[in-house]
Amino acid sequence: MVSIFVALAFVLFSCELTNYVPPVTPQMATARSGQQVDLVMLREGRTLFVHRCIECHTLPVLWRYSTDDWPNIVDSMSHRASLKPADREAIVAYILAVRSAEH
Amino acid sequence: MKPALRVGIFVAAILSALSSFGGARHFTFLYEANTPASGSLELENWVTWRHATGPGRFDQVDFRHELEYGVTDKLQASIYLADWFYKSDPERSGSTYSDTAIELIYNFTNPVVDPVGLSIYGELRVGDRLIELESKLISQKNFGPLILAYNATFESVWERSDLAEREGEFIQALGASYEISPTVSAGIEVLHEFVFPEWRDTEKIRNFLVGPNVSYRRGNWFVTITALAQATDTQDEPDFQLRTIFGMGF
Repeated sequence: MVSIFVALAFVLFSCELTNYVPPVTPQMATARSGQQVDLVMLREGRTLFVHRCIECHTLPVLWRYSTDDWPNIVDSMSHRASLKPADREAIVAYILAVRSAEH
Repeated sequence: MKPALRVGIFVAAILSALSSFGGARHFTFLYEANTPASGSLELENWVTWRHATGPGRFDQVDFRHELEYGVTDKLQASIYLADWFYKSDPERSGSTYSDTAIELIYNFTNPVVDPVGLSIYGELRVGDRLIELESKLISQKNFGPLILAYNATFESVWERSDLAEREGEFIQALGASYEISPTVSAGIEVLHEFVFPEWRDTEKIRNFLVGPNVSYRRGNWFVTITALAQATDTQDEPDFQLRTIFGMGF
């Protein structure tokens, strides 16, 4: 019985790691070399990412796709997720800022 | 009901609903905590086949047609245009209009970034000699590709002439869904029902149902199917239920 609980806890903990959606920090605003990103936009992007994207599917790992792929991916789902152009820009900015800040 | 007719009703229900596609549910007997975007509109068609064996045997196919609208990012409003069913038992068979309903869901917290996603749900059904009030507490937590959901539902029903017949019901529902791919999820749903005829618990009616589900989504539509078998032995309750929800976003 203990081993079952340990295995279940391990599975849930592993799954939780793929829900990595860190809060916006000041470092993210300058994480992408040569680009200054507005913190308000990043916070809006995070809110939209965790709210709109889970309407249809669970959140993907941010490192699953390349930085060049993310804008096209978000754009392809924007109609279904009711995303305005500013919303798309904010989500992409957040994703890329997280990736840049973590490297 | 003849097996061929039973299959025919189910296939016809599916084919008739294929013209409508939809939004994304991972469960059909549970609600998820997240609400749609403000201004979004979805059409969902529900088809539920209920099969009971034994002395009170019957086959019933329930139909619901739901229009879902995102009032705000936190508030969802729905109208069930016309709930109706086809029922066949040893004495008679035929279609009957049941009710029209309205529903509101308000989302408090997010299942990803908050410790648990929470929403509350309220529904009012009014029909021919039927009034039903339903409220739910919806909870959900996402662990990467795994979704766990729990609903606690309270129902009050007034029906028959003068709405004299009353019934209360408390339902606990638990679901798990795992995203196998970006378009396919599979999981399990469990329902535990407490039924109180005339708001009394003298009959100790308890129903326990369990079964698998599968969900497929593509573009702006989805289809989710759940099959539930009754693990208890309650007479006059379905032994098997198969629910399909087709949804399409506009």
